[in-house]
Amino acid sequence: MDLSFLQQFINALQLGSLYALVALGYSMVYGVLLLINFAHGDIFMFGAFLGVFCSMTLKLPFVPTLLLSMILTALLGMTIERVAYKPLRHASRLSVVITALGVGLLLENGMLALTGADPRNYPEEFLVTTVYNIGGLSISNVKIIIIVLAFVLFLGLYLIVQRTKWGMAMRAISYDKFAVPLMGVSQNQIIALTFALGTALAAAGGILWGVAFPVLNPYMGMRVGWKAFIAAVVGGIGDVRGAFLGGLLLGFVEIFVVELGQYVGISSTWRDPIAFALLLIILVVRPTGLFGVARRQKV
Amino acid sequence: MLLNVQDLHVSYGAIRAVHGVSFEVDEGEIVTLIGANGAGKSTILNTIAGLLSPNSGRITYQGQDIGGLDAHKVVQRGLALVPEGRRIFGNLTVSENLRLAGYQLQADERARRMKRVFELFPRLGERRDQLGDTLSGGEQQMLAVGRALVTGGHLMLLDEPSMGLAPILVQHIFSILKEINAQGTTILLVEQNAHMALKIAQRAYVLETGHIVLSGPAAQLASNPDVQKAYLGA
Repeated sequence: MDLSFLQQFINALQLGSLYALVALGYSMVYGVLLLINFAHGDIFMFGAFLGVFCSMTLKLPFVPTLLLSMILTALLGMTIERVAYKPLRHASRLSVVITALGVGLLLENGMLALTGADPRNYPEEFLVTTVYNIGGLSISNVKIIIIVLAFVLFLGLYLIVQRTKWGMAMRAISYDKFAVPLMGVSQNQIIALTFALGTALAAAGGILWGVAFPVLNPYMGMRVGWKAFIAAVVGGIGDVRGAFLGGLLLGFVEIFVVELGQYVGISSTWRDPIAFALLLIILVVRPTGLFGVARRQKV
Repeated sequence: MLLNVQDLHVSYGAIRAVHGVSFEVDEGEIVTLIGANGAGKSTILNTIAGLLSPNSGRITYQGQDIGGLDAHKVVQRGLALVPEGRRIFGNLTVSENLRLAGYQLQADERARRMKRVFELFPRLGERRDQLGDTLSGGEQQMLAVGRALVTGGHLMLLDEPSMGLAPILVQHIFSILKEINAQGTTILLVEQNAHMALKIAQRAYVLETGHIVLSGPAAQLASNPDVQKAYLGA
């Protein structure tokens, strides 16, 4: 196997991990509320900018910045749910979706007003890049950190969903809301927790994205958000494994469309059209996504 | 008196489902509400359990007003509802369904109650790692009753436990209900299968379009010509 292929494999894993971290939040929220949280991409942006604040202004190193941004973004996520979505719990789906879009615009433009349009980046010493050379393959510590962190965070989330009583309640809500309170579970608590976890992961994704691609602007969440959303749908929205796999898959498709395209004379500007056409084909073959199951209509 | 419902009114939007229902359940009893489809039976149970809010009226349980309390708080007081259609979580295993039912309990108490469920329903023990979706209707009903035993177990409200089950399974479920009752759980049973319900209950109320039209000892109602004609197919 040639080296450039391996190199691209690492790049795809990095890009895919970042999409995956964002896709998880879409999927979890959809699982419990059947809501596509269109503000999620902007929450990702918010997390990345909180990282700028922590590292530039507060001069915090990488790990405390990551943790603080995740915690604060989780609080933001819970606040958004409480203020914007909860009053609409029994409203039509359309009203909630429009509200979500509005929340997204508020975050984008609020951040623009607050920080200006100049692109931001993290300070040099935030995560000092070291490039290792392994048999001709050059891998930076940044890529390794991103990939490992994404997998560790996903694993942690998966354990919460599968092993704890909160995770069990989340899965139960996604199956049938009606009976959940009868088990003594406060639905509001579980929904708040779901938002907290999903938005904290988006914040981690935002900071890692900013480390990998150091051009942060208030609109960065739109593109990444849409792509992660599509990744979640392809994986089977509502299932965390599906979201993570969908994110990785999207990373691989994007990178390898470019990598393989150069041999057949396809320019890299065709990356997105080809990548999304491929994902559409997956959805044609499996409309519920890779891990999705058809939802039963409940009365 | 364990449960007392006074002049209960409940509506769904503009549709009034229950108007002015009063009844009571004493400690240790099996009481049944019988009536045709749409008489308001499920609405009454869902309101007692806190899934619906009453428009007016009083619901007292163990002497305390529980009307309008959230369902997850009602459960804390030992009152559990086995809902219509069983509502098993099909994506959770049998033991996960039971563990979730013990959401508010300490681990050792939850384990103790789950053990009792597996003793009452050995079938569930055999299938503890199977997903809820893969159970038969009868097994799902056993699990639904089992869940209620884990969450509450002091007063159990059952909504149409016989629904969609073969007669032999209905017999089995009802014999278990009698056993549970003998072990100290008070039961309020809502049924369309009036025949079975009147057989195991001590007292009964007949509900018609949101009103109680008859009440009395179950045996007496079972021999009432009107009841026989309307509900027992005589």
